Amino acid sequence: MSDVFPRWTNKLPLRIIIGLGVLGAAVTMGVTYYFTPKYTRVGYQPVQPVAFSHAIHAGQLGMDCRYCHSHVEKSWFSNIPSASTCMNCHSKVLPDDPKLALVRDSYHNNKPIEWVQIHKLPDYVYFNHSVHVNRGVSCVECHGRVDQMDEVKHAKPLSMGFCLECHRNPEKYIRPLDKITDLAWEISAHDQLVKGKELVKEWDIKSSDHCSACHR
Amino acid sequence: MNKTKSTTASRETGPKYWRSLDQLEGAPEFSKWVDHEFPSGAEAVTDPVSRRNFVKLMSASFLLAGLGMSGCRRPEEKIIPFAKQPHDYVHGQAKHFASAMPTRTGAIPLLVKQDDGRPTKIEGNSEHPDSNGGTNAAAQASILNLYDPDRATRFAKDRISSTRTLALDEIAAIATAAAKNRGEGLHILSGHADSPTRDRVRANLLRKLPKAKWHEYEPIDHDVHRRAATKAFGLPVKPYYHLDKAERILTLDCDFIGSEEDSHVSVRQFAKGRKIDPQHPEMNRLYAVEALFTLTGAAADHRLRVPASAVHRVAAQIALKVLAGLGIASSKFPGVKDTLIAHGAAGGVDPKWIDVCADDLMSSKGRCVVMAGQGQSEATHLLALLMNVALGNINKTVTLRKVSENKSGSIGDLTKALNAETGKKTLVILGGNPVYDAPANLEFGEAIESEEVTTLRLGYYEDESTPKNGWNIPQAHYLESWGDALTSDGTAVPVQPLMAPLFDGMTEIELLARLAGEAVFSPYELTRATFFARLGSRSEDAWKKFLHDGYDTAGAAAPMKTVKLISRVVNEVVRVANKEANVGPDLREVIFYADSKIDDGRYNNNGWLQEAPDPITKLTWDNAVLMSPTTANELGLKNMRGFKDGFHDKAFKEAGGTVADFHDGEHNLTEKGEFHQEVVTLKLGSRTISGPAWVVPGMADNVFACALGYGRDGGATVSGGTGRVGDGTGFNAYRLRTEESLKYGLDVKVERTDATIQLASTQEHGTIDGRSLIREANLDKFTDPDTGHGDFAKGMNMPHPEGIEDLPNGGIAYKNPLDELRKNATHSWGMVIDMNSCVGCNACVLACQSENNVPIVGKEQVVKGREMHWIRMDRYFSGDVHNPQMAHQIMVCQHCEAAPCENVCPVNATVHDDEGLNLMIYNRCVGTRYCSNNCPYKVRRFNYFDYNKRPLNDLYNSPLNPLNRKDGEWELKRWAKDRSKGNIAEDQWDLLKLAKNPSVTVRMRGVMEKCTYCIQRIEGAKIAQKVKAGDSADVKVPDGTIKTACQQACPAEAIEFGNIDDPKSKVTVLKAQARDYEVLGYLKTKPRTTYLGRVRNPNKDMPDYSMPETYKEWVGQGNHLQTHGHEGDHDHDHGHEDGHKHSDEGGHKATTGKGDHH
Repeated sequence: MSDVFPRWTNKLPLRIIIGLGVLGAAVTMGVTYYFTPKYTRVGYQPVQPVAFSHAIHAGQLGMDCRYCHSHVEKSWFSNIPSASTCMNCHSKVLPDDPKLALVRDSYHNNKPIEWVQIHKLPDYVYFNHSVHVNRGVSCVECHGRVDQMDEVKHAKPLSMGFCLECHRNPEKYIRPLDKITDLAWEISAHDQLVKGKELVKEWDIKSSDHCSACHR
Repeated sequence: MNKTKSTTASRETGPKYWRSLDQLEGAPEFSKWVDHEFPSGAEAVTDPVSRRNFVKLMSASFLLAGLGMSGCRRPEEKIIPFAKQPHDYVHGQAKHFASAMPTRTGAIPLLVKQDDGRPTKIEGNSEHPDSNGGTNAAAQASILNLYDPDRATRFAKDRISSTRTLALDEIAAIATAAAKNRGEGLHILSGHADSPTRDRVRANLLRKLPKAKWHEYEPIDHDVHRRAATKAFGLPVKPYYHLDKAERILTLDCDFIGSEEDSHVSVRQFAKGRKIDPQHPEMNRLYAVEALFTLTGAAADHRLRVPASAVHRVAAQIALKVLAGLGIASSKFPGVKDTLIAHGAAGGVDPKWIDVCADDLMSSKGRCVVMAGQGQSEATHLLALLMNVALGNINKTVTLRKVSENKSGSIGDLTKALNAETGKKTLVILGGNPVYDAPANLEFGEAIESEEVTTLRLGYYEDESTPKNGWNIPQAHYLESWGDALTSDGTAVPVQPLMAPLFDGMTEIELLARLAGEAVFSPYELTRATFFARLGSRSEDAWKKFLHDGYDTAGAAAPMKTVKLISRVVNEVVRVANKEANVGPDLREVIFYADSKIDDGRYNNNGWLQEAPDPITKLTWDNAVLMSPTTANELGLKNMRGFKDGFHDKAFKEAGGTVADFHDGEHNLTEKGEFHQEVVTLKLGSRTISGPAWVVPGMADNVFACALGYGRDGGATVSGGTGRVGDGTGFNAYRLRTEESLKYGLDVKVERTDATIQLASTQEHGTIDGRSLIREANLDKFTDPDTGHGDFAKGMNMPHPEGIEDLPNGGIAYKNPLDELRKNATHSWGMVIDMNSCVGCNACVLACQSENNVPIVGKEQVVKGREMHWIRMDRYFSGDVHNPQMAHQIMVCQHCEAAPCENVCPVNATVHDDEGLNLMIYNRCVGTRYCSNNCPYKVRRFNYFDYNKRPLNDLYNSPLNPLNRKDGEWELKRWAKDRSKGNIAEDQWDLLKLAKNPSVTVRMRGVMEKCTYCIQRIEGAKIAQKVKAGDSADVKVPDGTIKTACQQACPAEAIEFGNIDDPKSKVTVLKAQARDYEVLGYLKTKPRTTYLGRVRNPNKDMPDYSMPETYKEWVGQGNHLQTHGHEGDHDHDHGHEDGHKHSDEGGHKATTGKGDHH
């Protein structure tokens, strides 16, 4: 048979197996990285119709998140402010700024601004803002340092694994209620754990890692 | 489970309950149906796409997917906030508004949930003084009518699209012309309503246009209560029954649980008298005299079946007995006694039944009530009122409320006027569908087609009554309308809109005000004006409170205190009624009754109601000619399956098929467990109709009953019928009904035909054969200290499978992980269903459908056993086939702690959470259906098709069908472009989406689903509690905060839900009752849902006194209820029973332990 199969073919099966293994591993790794929220979502930074800078408003001016996102404590949905909210200040501040033309137009002509959605969970996830911000989970945990972003981008993966990480170890993330919108608040990992454990006990936090917590 | 082909009887160990005659007989067709884990046919895939085509197309679609790799990138989506934030609006937070659903005799007070501007769920207003928040099936389903794509959406002149402006011009022209000649030639036809504003506007109109004629017509005569009382007392009054104060109730063909209006009130009051516990064992007693087997008959302790035309005779006899027994001087009701004596007895009725029933009523003087139903003539009503007066019930259990006296002509008068008068006539039809449902002898459709008649019709649909010569104006749904009404107790309620009319619809009061030429015709202003007029001041605060609370008791008419029965009227009316002959095999009767689902036809196009199984027949999507087994036997008919007894399908025969073909394996319909019913023809006078025969055990003999409202055709819609849902359902019984036979007709002739029609009845779906599921006993057993103890209901349980006691850990092989999880859980959810209160009214089924986005599947799929209702309302017969008892049991996911479904799921799609919920994770589900196979309760439902994305007649179609080409575009291409959208027509799609509950996932094809205990409500309440708790530990949801949709809708308060770890919660208290038991508890599935056994309260002196038939039979098998201190005196087959005290499953020692070998 050596006429038909030269000597090097003896090792062919092994090579094929190894080759397939490597290929398989590459595909698996590729899929887990490129096809998952870690890659597809993080960094998503669309251009918004109005060049609104969170860095100026929330960072420099120190406005509280809840001035504009006023329903975050009441509803599952954290509202995008309407033009009337902008005009509360901008009817006095920079009243003729060309950057704000769209906002003024919206306000006066009752024409909504079409913002591009950045953070979006699948329809089968029933995430609720109010229960998180009222029970010690800061905005920063999911949205990152929005107070430093000129143009908002998707900072965290918001994948199911990301949610579960906190739901399983709430003590690592929970903070006092007065620091919820303080995105710059810092605490050492050790102190967090001590404080976190204390809060979890005191507030009787049992963040569920059962399916029913988010899927209905 | 064993798969032996033994007959059902030999496997039976518990009491005998049966769902169909086939089951009772142990027919092989029945065994074949239930022996399959899934109903035969449910699993079969009959997609026209062949495998080869499928592969070809799949590769094409993979290619498309490959080309569209950009699909992995998220599409850009927009968030569009308001330009100006509306005050008080929070996106994502549902709002609730008080409103009311107007009915023919009043209204149902409601609290309607609104999600982002669209009403999504209807609930009862529990703050209303005469409501506990319960509703009925029609109210629950009425929200679907709002989003019915087939409702009238345009202003149409001569059935051709026109505009609102032109329609308003026409109305103005009619108003001007009428004002000139004071309403000469103007006829108005309306339905019944109890609305102060409508009364006011009507009075104004008739004052301005005194020559105009007002006519009222309703196909179902709910007005008879008022008419009879008004006649009897000579005052415009309406009776109101206080069933909660009544210890003895006699109904004379009065289905107050089902077909009467205000059933949500009656059921609540009735159920109050059935809620017993060992400390309060007082219970009301219900005697029902009826022809059909109704829900009231099912709830009755004694039921007398007589033809509808004989009910007044029974009433007369009882009345006579009562008058004599109470020793009332004959001068009090002059002449009445003689009239009653002359009235004669109803044929075939045991006189003892009458005597004892009358005695029982007399022993509860002032604490009993006699009610006559809408299917009875005024004579029966007058007799009922006579008895109530004689028994001293007036102002105690019966109050009389003064009502506005609106004198109207009948539809007969109207037809005469239209046909007779010369000169131009204008007819204004306010709602209804008279061309379809008017008495057939009037030929109303022809009358309005006359050239001299111009019709202006306010209609919810473009249907039979849409004028060919005139206007059809779209009517606003009540959730789009301003208006008001009085509930039956006289409380005023607002009809408050939750949205602006979707299609510019108009309300009755607006149209009337415009016709009267009033300056103010906005329904809002009109309603306000009525309110302020009643209030006597223009208080904005009072108005706001009225709208906020949803009711106003001020100004409600007080009950009439002094009334006197006019004997002369009673004599006259009763004497006239006596002319009817007794029904027998030579003189048969046909009854026309309001359908339990679609009423008089008004809900014909409502898919939820069409698919809800009838509480008695379990028929969906059709009506049938109902008859008793005896009558059917005389005709040689029975509930057929397949083609037994030489029946054959006409179409099949014409195609050259023979009966033998049906048994060749491929066509063996016998095996499929389908009902092919022979069509019979009914002839009454000169008119005939034909419909499929259906046998109902317990119906009166020699009576045929046809539900009204089906068989729609001749409408003006594109489809030519009433709409895409209701088309082709059932047959039209109105065609047989004339002015003489509005309620029932005598001397009907029946003939068999050689045609069959397939019916979709769910009566055998989900049958759990040979297991005892229901616990029933008599009140004396319950009050007996010997038997009414802690194991009262559990004591009637089935034995454990043999040998299970020898297994370690009581037969449970594995440690239940839930036991560990539960220690740390904040709540443990559980449910109790009280079978003593449950009357089987279907309100919960519809509420669940509305709350949980449960789709409808269509008749064809129901036949295959694929209906999706999460709640299965099981109906069981027991006892004598000719006069059986009936029991209802709602069967939902039991949330077993040791759930058999979870063990077999290969992908962990059904799992438990720490609070005891058996979760269903749609995303994980791959559709193996193992869970459903392994569920002993058969409560899981599988989405065989994309019911939400496909029209019901197109379910088998798919984007992969190569023949599928719509509007010149390949379906596959369209699908690839937008996979989120189904192939439902655009107009349907836009509207149907609005009816969905945004808090519940809309399930797709291929996933399993089932009752979730309304997890969205649980989580919603938990979240609300946590938000409230903030930085405190107050996270426990207080008892009573969460009401599941079924519980909320239940007028009988038969369902209780809550935290079973809380010893004070209502559910825990109920679970501690002696009546509490687990269904199939011996399987050790530890269900979180338990049931409270049913207790009947029959009268010992009655000739038909018995223990519940099933209990009797159970005892007949040698079983005993355990008694204290009488251990071991039973006759046992097995030796392992002694020594087990009243343990959880102690029942095994009280039964013979026969059968059920595994």
